[in-house]
Amino acid sequence: MIEFKGTYFDGRSSKAYAVSIQSDGQRIRIAGNADGLPLLFPLGKCRLTPPLGRTRRSILLPNGGRCDTADLRAFGKLESLKGDNRILRLVNFFESRWRLVVGCLAGLIACVWMFTAHGIPFAAKKVAYSLPPETMESVSERTLQALDDGFFKPSALSQKKADHLQNIFRQLIADVDSGFHYRLVLRSSPRAGPNAFALPSGIIVMTDELVKLAENDRELIAILVHETAHVENRHGLRMLFQNTGVFLLISVLAGDVASITSIAATLPTILVESGYSRQFEREADLAAGMILVGKGWGTRPLQTVLQRLSEKQPEFSGPAAMSTHPQTRKRISYLQDLEASLTR
Amino acid sequence: MSDIEVNGIKLEMENPQSAEALSSGEPAVVAPAGSQRYRMIFSGTAGEYFRIWMVNLFLTVLTCGIFAAWAKVRSRRYLYARTLLAGQPFDYMANPWFIFKGNLIVGAGILLYLFADTYNQLYSSGVLLAFYLVLPFLICKSLRFNAYNSAYRNIRFRFYGSLKESYGIYLLLPILIPLTLGLIVPFWMYRRKKYFFQNFSYGATRNSFEGNAGAFYRTYGLAGLVSMVFLGIGVAGFLGFVSFVEDISIQPAGLSRAIVLIPIISYVVMMVYFTLVQQYIFGRVTNYCWAQTRAGTLQFQSRLEIRKLMWIRLTNILAIFISFGLLIPWAKIRRTRYILNSLTIISERSLDEYSAAAEADQSAIGEVTTDFFDIAIGI
Repeated sequence: MIEFKGTYFDGRSSKAYAVSIQSDGQRIRIAGNADGLPLLFPLGKCRLTPPLGRTRRSILLPNGGRCDTADLRAFGKLESLKGDNRILRLVNFFESRWRLVVGCLAGLIACVWMFTAHGIPFAAKKVAYSLPPETMESVSERTLQALDDGFFKPSALSQKKADHLQNIFRQLIADVDSGFHYRLVLRSSPRAGPNAFALPSGIIVMTDELVKLAENDRELIAILVHETAHVENRHGLRMLFQNTGVFLLISVLAGDVASITSIAATLPTILVESGYSRQFEREADLAAGMILVGKGWGTRPLQTVLQRLSEKQPEFSGPAAMSTHPQTRKRISYLQDLEASLTR
Repeated sequence: MSDIEVNGIKLEMENPQSAEALSSGEPAVVAPAGSQRYRMIFSGTAGEYFRIWMVNLFLTVLTCGIFAAWAKVRSRRYLYARTLLAGQPFDYMANPWFIFKGNLIVGAGILLYLFADTYNQLYSSGVLLAFYLVLPFLICKSLRFNAYNSAYRNIRFRFYGSLKESYGIYLLLPILIPLTLGLIVPFWMYRRKKYFFQNFSYGATRNSFEGNAGAFYRTYGLAGLVSMVFLGIGVAGFLGFVSFVEDISIQPAGLSRAIVLIPIISYVVMMVYFTLVQQYIFGRVTNYCWAQTRAGTLQFQSRLEIRKLMWIRLTNILAIFISFGLLIPWAKIRRTRYILNSLTIISERSLDEYSAAAEADQSAIGEVTTDFFDIAIGI
């Protein structure tokens, strides 16, 4: 027989009644000095609120009434007799012990690391490859349009030079068998300086400044190969999905106080996203390096043009962990290592 | 007074005769003779809440968000259970399965938005527009759901705000803000607070709200005035700094470092200032709204001090930064304690004599949507 003291509320008025509660595991009896008491209910028809810290527990009665008690020990006995709240009792077991809580912190860190390093990139890759290559066409076209409106000027290269570049590009993509509609777009941008980038649908933009920076065709091809690798490996779409995943993960972590921590949440977001970006750059360098070595040129053209780029344009001066590209020094030594391992 | 002392929890009652003099500038609450004052007491501790928070956060991430609904109910139940009025706690009674269903719908909406955005931004704008159109509906449902699932002494709260009013406040008025150059913002805030405070009931006891927009215009007006002075000082300081730099030719390296620091420093100053203004408005508006609210013969008195609110908020943010987020539960408990402990309820009747309203159920979709998108509503 379990017996403990509590407070009864009938659910119709706010009046509190001091009662004593008895149960034999089959039925529950609430006795006290008030109208309608004592009450007798089958225990199976009652609900017990799950344990939560040292807060008082309640029995929700089938008549809409409720019994609160601070006698957690007696209530626990009743609960194990009834067999309620199995999962939340386990959760409460963890919540009540500092050691297990520290274990959960370690588990949380491990989970977050697993998600950002493996889970999110894996899922993003799966989704990106399940979409047809045409998916990004309208978005890419619009992005180019927006850049043309605000940022770019028409290319000032001679027609002969432009035709020559288009020719090189055509030969290059002839080797690549894929569903992407490749297009080389030449633009001038004194503001952006020497630059090239790929839009996810296969549009590759190269600035006049970069064309002038390159000393020979091989260097330009090296850059174009690097950009096609971004397209082929769907880096644009994957980046989009990965960043979405990171956003969702950080929203879950920041939770309730998102408004306070929104500033604090931007820093880890930047760190993780620039980490993804650096990984994609490295992947594109790897793919480009393989093709260049395959052509018998070695990775030198890409090394020299990267070196000249970094001399012309000062590198990102902030912490390396926040840069979207690996440091040029590291990219060059990576390319050298790659070539050494391929030609050995 | 017929309140029973239960389970060793002492009643906290103040003698009306010994009520402290109201600090100047606070809205006055005149307590009728013979009434009782009950202070709200928040007894949650950072340690206990941290353990609950950590375990539930871990389970949420481990289950890819499925456990989020249960985690939400647990943390809210804890905060309610640790809020005592006249020796009795509040209860949060939401069924996690409802919130889980709401989470699924919100998740589906986000995925739809993301996929639409990948294909064509025109489609995703359509999804966004649809979201704004259902938002007032969700806010109204969320207020109803949360009120219905909150109880004190086994009597549920209710929210009677209509959908029509919600659409007026959350769809129509925001459209007018740019058209009126923001002059309507204090009125908008007033309407939102009125919607909240007026439409609540404790059981069968309906709230009434006597506030007017003038008080909101005074609060926002002062904040606006101080902001202009502050902005003036900021601009003057910046110009002074520039001329200082020009006068004394500092080493080029030192100069460039100083120039790099300017945007960072001004960003931090801006954020701190914004936080302070936010706390000022929050404190003033909260005190005012409680003072203007009646629940039957119940009166409320919120005595938040602006300086303390500002101090708590700033140090909370700092603590969260320094601890990489681990002090989030501590910060939350600390602020909740201050806000709730500043609230006093004045009653002519015994708190034993309130009765329940007729029953009706509400769906939970609203609850999570407002949560997920962090729409600031309510108190």
